[in-house]
Amino acid sequence: MIHFDHVTKVFKSNGAPLKAVDDVELKVEKGEIFGVIGFSGAGKSTLIRLANLLERPTEGRVLLNGQNIADLSQPELRKVRGKVGMIFQHFNLLEAKSVYHNVAFPLSIAGIPKKEIQKRVKEILEFVGLADKAKQYPDQLSGGQKQRVGIARALATSPEILLCDEATSALDPETTKSILDLLRRIRDEYNITILMITHEMHVIREICDRVAVMESGRVIEQGSIFEVFSNPDHQTTKNFVRTVMQDEIPESILRMIDKHDGRSHIYRVTFIRETAGEPILSRIAKGFDVEVNVLYGQITELQGVPFGNLIVEFRGDGAEILKAIHYLQTNVKIKEVTSHAG
Amino acid sequence: MQVDLLTFWPKILEATNETLVMVGISLLFATLIGLPLGVALVVTRPNGLLQNGALFKVLNAIVNFFRSIPFIILLVAILPITRFLVGTSIGTAAAVVPLVFFSGPYIARLVESSLLEVKPGVVEAAESMGATPWQIVFRVLIPEALSSLVLNITIATIGLVGASAMAGFVGGGGLGDLAIAYGYQRFETEVMIITVLLLVVLVQLVQTTGNLLSRKIRRH
Repeated sequence: MIHFDHVTKVFKSNGAPLKAVDDVELKVEKGEIFGVIGFSGAGKSTLIRLANLLERPTEGRVLLNGQNIADLSQPELRKVRGKVGMIFQHFNLLEAKSVYHNVAFPLSIAGIPKKEIQKRVKEILEFVGLADKAKQYPDQLSGGQKQRVGIARALATSPEILLCDEATSALDPETTKSILDLLRRIRDEYNITILMITHEMHVIREICDRVAVMESGRVIEQGSIFEVFSNPDHQTTKNFVRTVMQDEIPESILRMIDKHDGRSHIYRVTFIRETAGEPILSRIAKGFDVEVNVLYGQITELQGVPFGNLIVEFRGDGAEILKAIHYLQTNVKIKEVTSHAG
Repeated sequence: MQVDLLTFWPKILEATNETLVMVGISLLFATLIGLPLGVALVVTRPNGLLQNGALFKVLNAIVNFFRSIPFIILLVAILPITRFLVGTSIGTAAAVVPLVFFSGPYIARLVESSLLEVKPGVVEAAESMGATPWQIVFRVLIPEALSSLVLNITIATIGLVGASAMAGFVGGGGLGDLAIAYGYQRFETEVMIITVLLLVVLVQLVQTTGNLLSRKIRRH
């Protein structure tokens, strides 16, 4: 659907060239919600602007349905842009125009007859839940409502792709959730491919199918949400995962680890998929001569799959603990924790 | 020295009329020049919609050139052009030409600043929807900036009222000329006060109308 084929974008500002996007290779499949996460300056907003040629690639190709969009003439490109909707962090609505005329704008510049525009605007405002706000002006709306207008405007031309540029970053958590629910509905009901960039990991966890992590213009890691969250590879990715899933051991627990007397060992136990629902720890306590004490941890859900991360203390005879560990290893990931290496 | 004000009313009326005509006609032509020039400054500038560095530099220099000449000097300096354009170098019509030269580039700057107030993100959104550069100018930039444009044209109008006072130099007449000729040069204080009061009322009216209009079209 969208293929960034080794794309590089260099900006020349005051002589010094800046590589905003550096040899990015990404494929976004039809009907999926693909998230790109990165800190500010990572190049993600340049990347999303390459997808509809608001920025032109310096090297490489951007393919939409196999078509290199840089090869298109201006009129052809404008036609393609009608099939690629975009929403923005600060909504970018026409302040002087009513909600109705904001949503009608892309249809009207495409020369659609008035009657058809009326029908489509009504339909799409109903879909985003703003049917009663058609006559209002943007400054009379809340942030969430403004973004709904932005979404309605982006959907008016029935696009195949929706680009979301930090679409929820200016919204409060509750509004963010409702906007994300709406985006999911758009994908489910219209089968629209969504490419979103964000610096918020919880947004990625909430609705994305796959994620790419960007740093200094490069994609440093990509994969399914489950892969990336359960087994982050790169340090930056780990930092992002940490913003939504606490897996660092708190100070107080590290102090306990330091005080251990030789009979106590502390492990990180990672449950994934079906094992998260099983009473593995209680089986250890019953089957082995080992006391089990959960010090810290959490279980969360990723794409509908439970994922758990526990810091557990095993107390008992060394040999017995080893046997227990051996048993556990067949079911879960387990790793001894010291105060130096959490 | 006392003057019979009654004999002056017709003169004051005539002067008011001259001022309105001078300001009105100059404003019309200055806007016809300033609006496209302002749009051109916005679209040709670096990173503009129709970026053209050379054209931008030329237009920018021309605007700065005319903006830097004091009106009283401009008035005299372009007399040959005035004569060429309106066939005479004296009278109200002759005053209009330098007023347009003075005000057109000024309006261009004001238009430029109004259009630059439109958030770049809004322009980007229109681009992302497949709008052509001209659609962006006429359906995004100008409509979004309309309220601010009206306020800025109001400022230009008041500037024209002030500049038109100097039109006396070419026999253009008007309220300012009356105030100078009778009030200042002949020490007829009452006449000066009355004409100045009329100018104050005129400026107030222009500003109030501008404010009202601007507020009314903020949403359209």
